[in-house]
Amino acid sequence: MSAERDASLPNPTKWLLIGAVGLIISFIGMFVDPRMASFCYLIGMIFTTSITIGMLFLVMIHHIFDAYWSTVIRRQAENFLAALPWMAVLFIPLFLITYLYKQDTLWIWMDLDHELHGHGTVGTDPLYLKKTWWLSETFFWIRAVVCFLAWIYFARTFRRNSFSQDEDGSAEHTYSSRKHAAGGLIVVALTWSMAGFDWIMSLEYHWFSTMFGVWFFANSMRAALAVLVLVAAFLVAKGPLKGIFNTKHLHDLSTLCFAFTVFWAYISFSQYFLIWNGNIPEETFWYNFREEGMWYGVSMFLIFGHFLFPFLFMLQFPLKTKYPAMVFMACWILFMQLFDLIFNILPSLKVHGHTAQLFHQPLGFLWLAASVLGGIGVLLWAYWTSYYKVKIIPIRDPRIGECLNHNH
Amino acid sequence: MAGASSHSQEVRPAILDEVNPVDIPRQACVDNNRSFNWITEKICGIIEEKTPTWWWVCFIIACATASFTFIGLGYLVVTGVGVWGLANPVNWGWAIVNFVFWIGIGHAGTLISAILCLLRQKWRTSINRAAEAMTIFAVVCAGLFPVFHVGRVWFALYPGYLFPFPNANGIWPNFRSALLWDVFAVSTYGTVSVLFWYIGLIPDFATVRDRAKTKFRKIAYGIVAMGWRGSNRHWSNYEMLYLILAGLSTPLVLSVHTIVSFDFAISLVPGWHTTIFPPYFVAGAIFSGFGMVITLMLPLRAIYGLQDLITQYHIDCMTKIILATGTMVGYAYGMEFFIAAYGANDFEIFAFVNRAFGNYAWAYWIMISCNVISPQFFWFKSIRENTTLVWVISLFVNVGMWFERFVITVTSLSRDFLPSSWGYYSPTVVDIFTYLGTFGLFSVLFLLFLRFVPLMAMAEIKAVTPQADPHHAHTHKAGSGDYVNN
Repeated sequence: MSAERDASLPNPTKWLLIGAVGLIISFIGMFVDPRMASFCYLIGMIFTTSITIGMLFLVMIHHIFDAYWSTVIRRQAENFLAALPWMAVLFIPLFLITYLYKQDTLWIWMDLDHELHGHGTVGTDPLYLKKTWWLSETFFWIRAVVCFLAWIYFARTFRRNSFSQDEDGSAEHTYSSRKHAAGGLIVVALTWSMAGFDWIMSLEYHWFSTMFGVWFFANSMRAALAVLVLVAAFLVAKGPLKGIFNTKHLHDLSTLCFAFTVFWAYISFSQYFLIWNGNIPEETFWYNFREEGMWYGVSMFLIFGHFLFPFLFMLQFPLKTKYPAMVFMACWILFMQLFDLIFNILPSLKVHGHTAQLFHQPLGFLWLAASVLGGIGVLLWAYWTSYYKVKIIPIRDPRIGECLNHNH
Repeated sequence: MAGASSHSQEVRPAILDEVNPVDIPRQACVDNNRSFNWITEKICGIIEEKTPTWWWVCFIIACATASFTFIGLGYLVVTGVGVWGLANPVNWGWAIVNFVFWIGIGHAGTLISAILCLLRQKWRTSINRAAEAMTIFAVVCAGLFPVFHVGRVWFALYPGYLFPFPNANGIWPNFRSALLWDVFAVSTYGTVSVLFWYIGLIPDFATVRDRAKTKFRKIAYGIVAMGWRGSNRHWSNYEMLYLILAGLSTPLVLSVHTIVSFDFAISLVPGWHTTIFPPYFVAGAIFSGFGMVITLMLPLRAIYGLQDLITQYHIDCMTKIILATGTMVGYAYGMEFFIAAYGANDFEIFAFVNRAFGNYAWAYWIMISCNVISPQFFWFKSIRENTTLVWVISLFVNVGMWFERFVITVTSLSRDFLPSSWGYYSPTVVDIFTYLGTFGLFSVLFLLFLRFVPLMAMAEIKAVTPQADPHHAHTHKAGSGDYVNN
């Protein structure tokens, strides 16, 4: 049995069309301005993938804690998990462009003849030669496939368990989910860290930070929580979750947003601080690039906009329980989340030996907007398609009763 | 459901009629449906009964052991810091290892009382009191090492080897040193932990006061109960204060071990300078803290017959936290190795290869076996249900976490940048006895706690029993339509 289709709710096909338009513009960009457009595409693709992986983490954390308050919103996270196979599809153009166009479009180490500014080529770079065991092109793509397979496996398992339970009301599904959550947290933590190292950190392959995987995790959690707040607010306003999702649930969700705001700041600060304080060139250069030109402003904006403002905002109890305030904050966090990814990814693009400046290439904004729109379109298409196929809440979940009476 | 948005709030969403939860009952925090009175009798009984013989035996042994520390420290003050095994190139030896070990132990208390309070984990109520006491005593043991490592201990506080007062030569401690931040972090943490512990104790002290049979006891407990009458106003102020302190303690738990990790990570020594140190140290601290909680609570559970208050559910929760944090620590060990290899820095690679296969390989593999491998047994229910095994594994955790700090501190220093200065560090007999003695000091304080302070938060345990729920009497049948709307 499926949720009834409501005229006031979005049509999935519309989102697919929006996504398609975004993707087509991105692909055009790859012909017009291959390197900038590919970097923007990478940002858009990681942005949407991080939302779905964050959802996967949330579902697993829900099961491992035997939590109750989040049961009411868990179904929406599960709907987002439907997008994971499509995220894998969105990854394919990155593979194609390095093969069809130039190997060094994104990850310069993939092209041994890539000129390092004033230091010969990648193939003669002693640092690269020491890293070939990890930075091999074939191994890189195999790792990406392994990551996606692992994520899709867990996403499908949690979805299947949850949806089947609606039908047969068997406790076995809950037990299965708990077991998968325990193993899944380890597997996804490792694969997501690996994805962070590969997709973002290896863009600047000289640089390394043990914290990077943890940062990538914090980043995905913030994105997923913000999206959940938006979805909850939308579904309450439009009716389907009205009278089901109450302000106590909103408060808990907002508190989690707050907690991960602090966690993200803690992780980002620790990474920056230890590198700044150590002050050795093999690490600091990564941050030095991010102080050139516009990137200095972006760095400052991240400190104030991605930490201080959300922190002070969500510190206030009344704001955490009001939909308009939290909708604003969730949009803000998502926007800043995108900035954080841009900050981590785009300065690795070098134009004539200098860090790329987005403002110098106005078209860059178009490619960025198009790729983000493309990713979001696909994400929401998958979400709404799944939404109409299943119940709005897991009606047979063991904790749903407690959750609906949640009135702490 | 369609068009529900146009309806008034009172309209009940149709899906609620379909809700029919599967029955997976939650485990109770108090077994055998014990009454409020039983809980009071049980916990107050511990401090009201005649001091048992085993207590005296333990107390005497603990005092004797604690004397090692004081003899060791006295000898150090009289003779000089040279009595410790510190020598080039290992200038940080057991003292900082012991300091970090004890500070880490202390983390479980605040985690249980503050973070689990914010997360509304009801099972915390049976163990929070003892864990908080443990925190404070652990901080006391930890504090000894930085205070005494200055040698002329009377200078530690004023004028300023540790605290930022200019000393006799007008020299200030370096504000950019993480060791100075440690002083702030640990002293703040200690202060807030004591406050938090004490606030939680007030209602229970009042209970003990009201039950007191002798005048002296009545007065003594009356003073510490601060005139608590259990009125509605008292409770609402208490709850608010408790929540605020929980909120304040949470960043403190993280900050203390973060700064302890900075002691190492802000330097450039290979094996120390790595960005994952802060969260990795915090996870390790919680891991070791829970190890110690289990080490202490399981014997007490058996001695005092507290099986209904520290149930299998509590043990399950604690062992799972140990499993989770142990695995996180394992992730950090793995990341350090991976990034050392990936970073392609010869010194970093050497530091890690040396850790695993060099002159201190024995310590490294003790650490890995105790911290990463031994908690993996907690995946199995049968092991979690075997209290003896759980206790033994908790000992491994304690041992492993001491060795972790030893491995980090000593292996990196003993093989520094200059091969001609390489050395092998061994502790002196003074080192060993001073450290062993801290277990005695910790035990003395903990035994005194057992005799004079209610071991468990009675008021809080009562609040998580089924009979504390106003709806307790009528059964809550699923799908009966009692779900609360907005």
